[in-house]
Amino acid sequence: MEVNRREFLKVSGSGVIGLSLLQLGVDVRPVRAYAKALKIEGTKEIVSVCPFCSVSCHIIAHVRGGKLISTEGDPDYPINQGALCAKGASMLSMTRNENRLKKPMYRAPGSAKWEEKTWEWTFEQIASRVKKVRDKDLIQKDASGRTVNRLESLFFIGTSHADNEECAAAHQMVRGLGIVHVDHQART
Amino acid sequence: MTNHWVDLKNADAFLIMGSNAAEHHPISFKWVLQAKEKGAVVIHVDPKFSRTSARSSFHVPLRSGTDIAFLGGMIKYIIEKEKYFKDYVVEYTNAAFLVNKDFDFKDGLFSGYDPQTRKYDAKTWSFEMDEAGLPKKDKSLQDPRCVFQLLKKHYERYNLDNVSAITGVSQEDLLKVYESYSATGVPIKAGTVMYALGWTQHTVGVQNIRAACMVQLLLGNMGIAGGGVNALRGEPNVQGSTDHALLYANIPGYLGAPIDEWQTLADYNKANTPATKDPKSANWWQNKPKYLASLLKGWYGEKATADNDLCYGLVPKCAKGVDYSYMFLFDRMYQGKIRGGFIFGLNPMNTLANTHKARAAMDKLDWVVVSELHHSETTDNWRRPGVNPKNMKTEYFLLPSAHRIEKEGTVTNSSRLVLWHHKAIEPAGQAKTFGFMLVGLMNAIRDKYIKNGGTLPEAITWQDWPKTYVAEDWTKRLNGIFTKDTKVGDKEYKKGQLVPTFGALAADGSTTSLCWVYTGCFTEEDGNKTKRRDPKQTPMQEKIGLNPNWAWCWPVNRRIIYNRASVDPTGKPWNPDKAVIAWEDGKWVGDVPDGPWPPMASENGKYPFIMQTHGFGALFGPGRLDGPFPEHYEPVETPVTSHPFSPQLSSPAYKFVSSEMDKLTKPGDPAYPIVLTTYNLTEHWCGGGETRNVPNLLETEPQLYVEMSPELANEKGIKNGDPVIVENVRGKVEAIAMVTVRIRPFKVQGKTVHLVGMPFAFGWSTPKCGDSTNRLTPSVADPNTTIFELKACLVNVKKAGKLTEIA
Amino acid sequence: MPKAFLIDTSRCTACRGCQIACKEWNELPANATKQRGSHQNPPDLNPHNFKLVRFNEHLEGATVRWNFFPDQCRHCLEPPCYHEGAKLVDDAIIHDQETGAVVYTDKTKKISADGFEIIRDSCPYDIPRRNPKTGQIVKCTMCYERVVRGMLPACVKACPTGTMNFGDREKMLDLAQQRLAAVRKEYPKALLADADDVNVIYLLIDEPQNYHKHSVAQKDQDIDRKLFLARLGRPLRRGVEALLNL
Repeated sequence: MEVNRREFLKVSGSGVIGLSLLQLGVDVRPVRAYAKALKIEGTKEIVSVCPFCSVSCHIIAHVRGGKLISTEGDPDYPINQGALCAKGASMLSMTRNENRLKKPMYRAPGSAKWEEKTWEWTFEQIASRVKKVRDKDLIQKDASGRTVNRLESLFFIGTSHADNEECAAAHQMVRGLGIVHVDHQART
Repeated sequence: MTNHWVDLKNADAFLIMGSNAAEHHPISFKWVLQAKEKGAVVIHVDPKFSRTSARSSFHVPLRSGTDIAFLGGMIKYIIEKEKYFKDYVVEYTNAAFLVNKDFDFKDGLFSGYDPQTRKYDAKTWSFEMDEAGLPKKDKSLQDPRCVFQLLKKHYERYNLDNVSAITGVSQEDLLKVYESYSATGVPIKAGTVMYALGWTQHTVGVQNIRAACMVQLLLGNMGIAGGGVNALRGEPNVQGSTDHALLYANIPGYLGAPIDEWQTLADYNKANTPATKDPKSANWWQNKPKYLASLLKGWYGEKATADNDLCYGLVPKCAKGVDYSYMFLFDRMYQGKIRGGFIFGLNPMNTLANTHKARAAMDKLDWVVVSELHHSETTDNWRRPGVNPKNMKTEYFLLPSAHRIEKEGTVTNSSRLVLWHHKAIEPAGQAKTFGFMLVGLMNAIRDKYIKNGGTLPEAITWQDWPKTYVAEDWTKRLNGIFTKDTKVGDKEYKKGQLVPTFGALAADGSTTSLCWVYTGCFTEEDGNKTKRRDPKQTPMQEKIGLNPNWAWCWPVNRRIIYNRASVDPTGKPWNPDKAVIAWEDGKWVGDVPDGPWPPMASENGKYPFIMQTHGFGALFGPGRLDGPFPEHYEPVETPVTSHPFSPQLSSPAYKFVSSEMDKLTKPGDPAYPIVLTTYNLTEHWCGGGETRNVPNLLETEPQLYVEMSPELANEKGIKNGDPVIVENVRGKVEAIAMVTVRIRPFKVQGKTVHLVGMPFAFGWSTPKCGDSTNRLTPSVADPNTTIFELKACLVNVKKAGKLTEIA
Repeated sequence: MPKAFLIDTSRCTACRGCQIACKEWNELPANATKQRGSHQNPPDLNPHNFKLVRFNEHLEGATVRWNFFPDQCRHCLEPPCYHEGAKLVDDAIIHDQETGAVVYTDKTKKISADGFEIIRDSCPYDIPRRNPKTGQIVKCTMCYERVVRGMLPACVKACPTGTMNFGDREKMLDLAQQRLAAVRKEYPKALLADADDVNVIYLLIDEPQNYHKHSVAQKDQDIDRKLFLARLGRPLRRGVEALLNL
């Protein structure tokens, strides 16, 4: 059935508003064509936290089939109550952006390019370098004969982008290795 | 933050200083504006007029680096005009304490200074004790050796003439701020201080914040709703990453990192556990041995036993007095003393001071592991402009990291609220969580030590370390478990069960916790409390917006810390309309009080400042390295050659490194007469490595600019939008001129001083957007924190022809 | 009942949450922009930005005034663009009486470049833009598909400070009057821009020209009303400017 615009207005002007507009069951073609579907309809809502300033605004991720469809502020979080600033509002394109790194890579000395590597290869290479340096450089006793067990020639810096659980793991790892040059964004 | 975001709505006055809250914590203004509409005065004191200033009641431009002069003037005003909250000052601060007779302050220096080492011996910065071992007090505050009188004397010099002459703030504006803010020095008014890196990034950074704490203590603004000293933490989880101490000088939970002098656990505990003879002082840090024992037990599990000092000996010991922070790390790297390392989620090639040196230092590494979301100035330092990759010997391993929305775990917001975020989607490509990388890497290293042995393998192989990374298992590790069957009160806990609260942590190895302040976040009784989304609150809690059932807050879900100071000594709220806690029918209601004890005046009562050894708010603060009272010192690079307060021009104790790349401009150098301050903007995040890769954000703020007054632009023949070069002894930076009335020339000691401001979010890895502003900033730092002085240095500006970094 | 926005600029911090939320919801691509000595970027509305926060600063004595103007389609009560559109292509522009939304459909692609100029010229606020690749004329949609489902427009949802408000027109008018009375104590120049003619009502606290050239249709309310009605179907924007320049 074709309904022209004037007729549409007559229909919709009869006190039917909001969702019911879409339930009219008639082809109100131009408007329906425009508002045909809400992209987040039927998506799963998952609560995340904005990755920027420490207000930690809550963000609802709308996901369908493992794909991020849209993001919006979480109206229930008492602090942001659904609101977001420019950065928080850009979560969708931030996650999707083309510039993301997607594979482990290696750049050899003197090389002008990155080479893609596997995670296994990468861990193995790093682990052998760490062990080599640590075995050689770990200071077990200082000049006064005191036990110090510190490794000054390696460092670990970062990161406030990590979760608490990851920070705890990082700290435990770092002190286990004996590393003392430790720092991150809390300082700058 | 001592308070929290929603609590901003309870303030009657805001002192936003050292912060551009509306731009850097935009949602904070949801709450600031609510208070403003109810009549609160919002004061923004900052070198430039920003989006924060636009929505404040008024803005006061201040020459960068003169905050202590400004606040010292306020302290003088509060004391002289008797604006302080007398009962609070007498009962809850150390104003009445008598100070060591040998403590002195002369010519800008406190007693005990050694010009050779540039360090203080702080032994005279102490209190006189009576026979019982308690600090001597004069509650009349009249004794000339009491803290209050010394404070009054110290700030006598900070009169309006002196303060105005050095800060560039008119006397009228000074009085406007002092009057309106000090009006909160009454029981029923609250003033809040919001600060950020604008205070910390100075060679007097810690003392800037000390000065604010003193103002707040004098006005009785600590512990109350709408009050507090609120550090607006910058980074996504910088509160959490600080709690877990990704810092050389600390181990998790604000415990000092072991040093060479403390060879045994007993040595450590003896040196680090404060004692008091005052039964009314909670002296919370007396519990420190329990927290360290639980941490060691968490790290080394079954291998940590009483016989081996809970493996304390395996933990690295820093050399006493040696600073292992960024500034010294990159200096040692530059000297070729560092072989390799890890840079996770950080862009130091853009964000450290003097990045020319940092970039050159990184070239000296044998190898480096970098984990990031995108290519950045750090991940690709080997191919930065001006170098030939062929000559770059360093091996780079680049690990692609997952975005927040692609993983689960907790982050801690600025107000200590620990929040669970769920995983929405799989990480892009083969990107992985930091947790996957850390656990996987450590296992690869462990396997080698297990198989082949090596130096001190047990430090690694004895660790209680999982096979794979599961976030919630680590949340439990943070909280801690019982390592044997234990009774807490009437309740029995089995070995392996979660510890209910840090009050149950023990020094004997019977508990674990990787960060004691997080104990209580995940319990047998309530599960993972960081996932709570319950809006329920009592009417009393709702009135001040406490939201106690939303997620979980450290410590012990206390939303406003030092809240025992919000009530009088009998437990009655100073301001019943905005009560935080109240003692009713023999129990506390409202927020979780700072300890369970009854009100201070009762027999078993305690003083409110429970983290202080004596239990009192520290107007006199002997714990810092550069003095017990904040004193005005100029930035290391300053346009003036003298100031009105003392002959000591700059901080006598600031830290620095020396190399041919660490040049400094001498004070008042006519070649570089302009003050540069650096900052950021809403649309970019810190070094910009993340946000420059988000096209919608880059669209809004695409390129590096320098904001300057029309007066300076006119002097230099620069028009709005012109290409310019900003330069000093360390480097040259190309930028686009933004000529704006939002920056005003300052009148300092009768002369015009110009200031320019630049963001540091732009870097070469985003084509043609400009490169690191920090090529201009100096490697000089606060003596307490070693935070760089990024907010004030000297430059000159000139119009440029064609730019190469920006197009 | 028609819907309306109240945009309370006395509360705006220019965080640009609204500007970005609009782009993200509509999945509009980014423009390549340059720094030109202003924080306002992109410099103007364009086919990829239906919403733009405009920045305008000046000194008032010694006081800095920095005004922020989140610009967007006003969804006029009697939209001149709709009347122009109707003459060119049927249903290219829809004026929905229920919500008050003025919605440009993809049928606007059928409107020629010259036709677009007529439509743009008819707008007192210089809002419509044409995508040169597709030929489609675009602007703020009022997030029509959200609004009919009882959701807030994306920009309103994102706003942290209460600058962006949305609801039944009568309620918004009440709120506008309340807010106007409140801010006039501090800002005597405060006004509601063209409240009788548009569904996107701006509360301004400074002179309209200190926000943006087209922040209001024109200064004189009487002429404004007459022009709106008399000039329907004629190039209004130029007409108004000519009149004001006299």
